[in-house]
Amino acid sequence: MPHDAPASENALIREETRRRWSLALPALTVITLLSIVPLAVMVAYSFMQAGQYAGVEPGFSLDGWQAVFFERDFFDDSLIPATAHLTILGRSIALALATTALTFVFGIPTAWFIATRPPSSRGFWMFLITVPFWTNLLVRTIAIQEVIRADGTLNRVLLATGIIDEPLQMMFTNGAVLVGMAYVYLPLMVLPVYAAIEKFDFRLSEAAYDLYASRLYCLRRVVLPLMWPGIVAGSILVFIPALGAYVTPRLMGGGRAMMWGNLIDLQFGQGRNWPLGAALSITLTLVVLGALIWYARRTAKKDHANG
Amino acid sequence: MLDIRSLSKKFGSGAGAFHALKSIDITIEEGEFFTLLGPSGCGKTTLLRMIAGFEQPSGGQLVLDGKDIATIPPNHRPVNTVFQSYALFPHMTVAQNVAFGLEARGTNPAEVAPRVDEILEIVQMAHLRDRKSSQMSGGQQQRVALARALAPRPRILLLDEPLSALDLKLRKQMQFELKRLQGELGLTFIFVTHDQDEALTMSDRIAVMEGGTLQQVASPRSLYDHPANRFVAEFIGEANFLPGTIVDGKLFLAGSPPVPLLREKKSRGAVAVMIRPEQVVVGATSEKAITLDGRVESLVFSGTDTHVSLRLQNGTTLSLRSPNTSHAGTALADGQALQVSLPIDALHVLPEETADAA
Ligand SMILES: Nc1ncnc2c1ncn2[C@@H]1O[C@H](COP(=O)(O)OP(=O)(O)OP(=O)(O)O)[C@@H](O)[C@H]1O
Ligand SMILES: [Mg+2]
Repeated sequence: MPHDAPASENALIREETRRRWSLALPALTVITLLSIVPLAVMVAYSFMQAGQYAGVEPGFSLDGWQAVFFERDFFDDSLIPATAHLTILGRSIALALATTALTFVFGIPTAWFIATRPPSSRGFWMFLITVPFWTNLLVRTIAIQEVIRADGTLNRVLLATGIIDEPLQMMFTNGAVLVGMAYVYLPLMVLPVYAAIEKFDFRLSEAAYDLYASRLYCLRRVVLPLMWPGIVAGSILVFIPALGAYVTPRLMGGGRAMMWGNLIDLQFGQGRNWPLGAALSITLTLVVLGALIWYARRTAKKDHANG
Repeated sequence: MLDIRSLSKKFGSGAGAFHALKSIDITIEEGEFFTLLGPSGCGKTTLLRMIAGFEQPSGGQLVLDGKDIATIPPNHRPVNTVFQSYALFPHMTVAQNVAFGLEARGTNPAEVAPRVDEILEIVQMAHLRDRKSSQMSGGQQQRVALARALAPRPRILLLDEPLSALDLKLRKQMQFELKRLQGELGLTFIFVTHDQDEALTMSDRIAVMEGGTLQQVASPRSLYDHPANRFVAEFIGEANFLPGTIVDGKLFLAGSPPVPLLREKKSRGAVAVMIRPEQVVVGATSEKAITLDGRVESLVFSGTDTHVSLRLQNGTTLSLRSPNTSHAGTALADGQALQVSLPIDALHVLPEETADAA
């Protein structure tokens, strides 16, 4: 702002600044109430003592955090690293990655299909994609179960057509968990990718063909780089909630393989160890945050290298 | 040499089909600056896109160097396009854009960089080679688009109204540079425009199109001097049309005695006689001419000359130019009676039916 700006202009700028803040206020309030406050509560709980029958008791304690990383040896009560937690975290990350990959494989063609329909019918297709959002997660997961159960729809069709002789055991396998997860999170991949494809200027791919590019070359050098932000957004939107998912792994996997989400669930439920549950939640948040910061740094560096 | 033979294009089918091009025949010579000129919607872009390979012909052939290329996909045709919207890749730098065609074609990487440098030098964009293509002015984008299309050394360069987005001054400059570049490279240019001045100043030959049909293919000079029909006469420059009749090689115009014509010997019945405004002479002339009387209806000063609109005795209006040579006595006044001469050599006889159609 120039120093010699007239007073009235300064006042105008102040007025404008105030107006903008007041416009942003409702959003800021909602963000504060819905995300910062619960997060603060979780942080506070993680440093408190566990109540006897669930809940927390006032008083500072590091027990919760200690239990994230160490457990008491069964025999001599010494502290040993909690390798089980590491295994569970690894499993959750693997599942979230696999879910992201699967939604990517199915989401990109779906988004492409919708974005290349005539504009008048795109709304209809988008509507179909978002319909599952209107249904409770539990109901959706049970619907998938109904399809792949031993006496479910898929097995009955396969049996009736004679492709198989006895029902396939699909429930309670890793595959079942993955299918359930991909089904639940697919729309989160399709929406941002669709937005990116819809914005894509197809005259650019025409220019690429004109310049001797094959379809594949054009996809690699022109289409994908320009759709990349949408793909990244979709992947983040799928990966983060998938990392903390616990309903779908529990129902589809039969609770055989515990996920990080189930671990947290356990501490707040049967475990009655709220500080540990809170500390586990914060740990997950930190892992996600770390991954995002790493990604942001990496792309910033790459952009810089490109000039 | 590109031979366009009875090329036609129909969009859609059945009752809703639209004939965008109707049996076009053109032969474009090696190293020629060839222009497609016509009003909006006449099919210029459609023809260009068929040469590039983005549209399939509904009929006819497209023969390049003796080979029918009509079914060859765009990425295998030795033809590159400068798009009207430039269509530069926004995520790439200027140099990356220019290298694209070479790389896509699998050119030896060692040869790509020198070629990119060379071509950027030619279009005077070397200093911006690392700039992102989205961060440039229209004129700069234009040069990059040109460089990108030239880099892979196409046999023919197609340009679809490449200058239409530029302001007048830049446009004049780019017209000049394009023409110079084309001459230096000796490359065949097929240039689309709906601006007749642009077409006249730049082209070796011009194809005038209208409603999907070819009206005339000729050099700028002969299009102007010998338009084939009323549409071409009106589209290129300004024209006066006078109704007349030709009987036994004599032209009968209302308000003047019959005059024998040099080029017309037969009887042709009703015709339209065309004359350019600047060829109408004020007063008498020593040439063989038709003299007509009229009254000045309006005068518009335009610097070097004054545009005069004359109402003839038979009711038609005639446009002419009166040079402003600053003889105080020759100044014209509104409503003044004026005699003009139409030199016989400057008259062009066009068939009357095209006059009716127009
Ligand atoms: N894909 C298409 N489907 C149907 N009609 C089309 C299609 N492309 C062009 N047309 C029609 O063909 C005609 C010629 O179009 P074209 O784009 O070739 O015109 P143009 O001479 O380039 O005009 P302009 O100067 O406005 O660019 C137009 O009437 C247009 O509506
Ligand atoms: Mg066009």
